[in-house]
Amino acid sequence: MSPPASEVPLATPVVDAELLAASDGEPALGRDPFAETLEIDPFVERLDELRQSGRGDLRVAAAPAAPRPAAPPARREPSRPPPAPLARRRRVETPSLAELEPAAPRGWLDRWLGESDRRRLAAVAHLVEGEVAFDRYGFSPDAIRSAFPWFLALYRYYFRVRSHGHENVPTEGPALLVGNHGGLLPFDAAMAIVDVLLHTDPPRLARSIVDRWAGSLPWVNVFYARVGQVIGTRENFADLLDEGQLVLVFPEGLEGVRKTVTQRYRLQRFRVGFVEQALRAQAPIVPVAFIGSEDQAPILYDLKPLARRLGLPTLPITPTFPWLGPLGLVPYPVSYRIVYGEPLRFHERFGPEGADDSRLVRYLANQVRRSVQLLVDRSRS
Amino acid sequence: MTSVLVTHADEPLGRRLVKTLYHDPEVETLLAVGDGPAPRAFDHFFAGSDPRLVYARVDLAKHRPVSDLFHSSRFREAQIDTAIHLPRHGAPAAESAPIVSGLAERTAEARLVLQNCLECPSIQNLVAVGSAFVYRLPPGNANRLDEESELDLDPDVPGVIRSWIDCDMIFHGEVHNDRLRVVLLRVPTVVASGGYVYLNPFLEGRPGIRLRNAGYDPICALVSDKDVARAARAAVHSTRSGIYNVAGLEAVPLSVLARWTGRPSFPVPGPLLSWAGAAARALGQELPGAGAARPHLRYGFTLDTRRAERELAFRPSHRIGLARAGDGALTLETAAV
Repeated sequence: MSPPASEVPLATPVVDAELLAASDGEPALGRDPFAETLEIDPFVERLDELRQSGRGDLRVAAAPAAPRPAAPPARREPSRPPPAPLARRRRVETPSLAELEPAAPRGWLDRWLGESDRRRLAAVAHLVEGEVAFDRYGFSPDAIRSAFPWFLALYRYYFRVRSHGHENVPTEGPALLVGNHGGLLPFDAAMAIVDVLLHTDPPRLARSIVDRWAGSLPWVNVFYARVGQVIGTRENFADLLDEGQLVLVFPEGLEGVRKTVTQRYRLQRFRVGFVEQALRAQAPIVPVAFIGSEDQAPILYDLKPLARRLGLPTLPITPTFPWLGPLGLVPYPVSYRIVYGEPLRFHERFGPEGADDSRLVRYLANQVRRSVQLLVDRSRS
Repeated sequence: MTSVLVTHADEPLGRRLVKTLYHDPEVETLLAVGDGPAPRAFDHFFAGSDPRLVYARVDLAKHRPVSDLFHSSRFREAQIDTAIHLPRHGAPAAESAPIVSGLAERTAEARLVLQNCLECPSIQNLVAVGSAFVYRLPPGNANRLDEESELDLDPDVPGVIRSWIDCDMIFHGEVHNDRLRVVLLRVPTVVASGGYVYLNPFLEGRPGIRLRNAGYDPICALVSDKDVARAARAAVHSTRSGIYNVAGLEAVPLSVLARWTGRPSFPVPGPLLSWAGAAARALGQELPGAGAARPHLRYGFTLDTRRAERELAFRPSHRIGLARAGDGALTLETAAV
């Protein structure tokens, strides 16, 4: 018979005295991820409970002034070594707007773009080096140039995107944008990419991490690759950050897409890989709230059994799908708001070695989730 | 100083390797063997009173000629201590023909070369060049594969790739041999100046139209033939044994690579592609590309080359791109960085 949960010894110090002491009275977003959650996080509650009951090898929060315990944290034994980035990769940098010459217009669509937009598109070409106009993920600046006017039209006239907090997006170096996901088709990612490109100087192209399932879809996989989206493997993630790129992640994954209308703007459980990668690459995490994306295709019911039979991640019933056929998947012309929160700099406190502590990583992923949820709630209100 | 045996030296990769090793001051004697007559490119190496290069015609898929080679007086006199086995360029003439114990030609060559290297007391190093198309490809276009990645052991894998996997496993089995140091280099699509392309199951064979899977355009990792030769040379001089991925700096979509190499490709829906391949086989023809591994027509890969960088001190030094020739036509070229 297994012992009751409260008797299970917990040997790993995950939250130490220094962290707990540092959390007092600090704002929730961007400064101290622990401050908001110390009282409500079940993990912290559990630590306190065990400490008070005197069970387990706990060295947490006993003396706020005590130095950080020297005992090494429990290391997860990975089945394979973590993917270190390739040594010869160059750091991707784009010149500032003032240094860029606008690309010459190639057609009526290009002429419709302003000079500033064409200047920003010229910056994208700097992401690929050498004579071959593709990077190792299949990204092509030419494809971005062709697709950008269409997505800009969606951005300005269909979704009427308003955005705030661009100053929180790092202008250089590796960084992660982490947001809430929803709306069947990933227009939230597309709008974020356009928004970041339009509001950063030097212009940055956010590289979105997509599910492996998307890589098996005909035509979709090619389009995704050409416009800079990357299949979410650990190796790709590590390489992108090592190249100093801005990476857009939806840690809810397909669970976010499957949310029904009653779960709108309630974030699902986050995956944790992005925190590991952020710690290893010493990259800040910028929480992003997408308002509107979860209203663009409200799911009334998800036919999960049928979806499994058909090998699909979801088979939704919306007010328009499947009644109107594929047309029913067209998103409603909702108004988007994108809000960037203050960066969470976990790497400054925990360092790259923190990525090996699986419970710390899970804990930090929860903190990011809470930050995004808070940002969503505030933005909606 | 070392003396080296190079197999398939009459083929493009072999010629490049022989040239590289010939100019290596650490290489004393070169014994080059191939199916055909000595390439014209070797003529000036043969000049002089005491040439360092010797060429012989040997059918590497047959037991007796290979045995004769390893027991020949020239071989003994040269005191060959290193063998470099290059893969046969292109699909063997009859992939399914039972040549040696029912093995494909390429596999038979690998087995015979390895067996003779193991039996020959003077040979201490064996460097084999294999293909990176041996890896199993998960869905997606940006699979970064390292040496520990899973091999594609699917029984339905096409014969061309199966023979590479067999060769790979033959050499892999001796990587930890105490007497013979075995180095296996896995290379992706090899590109040479002038638009030549080797070791790609889709683009092998004569130029012409290729059919590819509609809706997919896998990314192809590239390496220049000069970098493959440099990697083999690095493996010869190294003291390490093991498996190493070797790749260049570039990766391009298959459709672009096909166009650049004079093989325009047309997208065809997957089921139609299979039927077209089956129909061509029924008519006794081989439809290039249609018989290639279907995952390789859908999903791309790039190689993690950190182990080669770390242990063999090999880094690619050639870039691949289009250059305008004298007549104004764009051709695929490689150039030193």
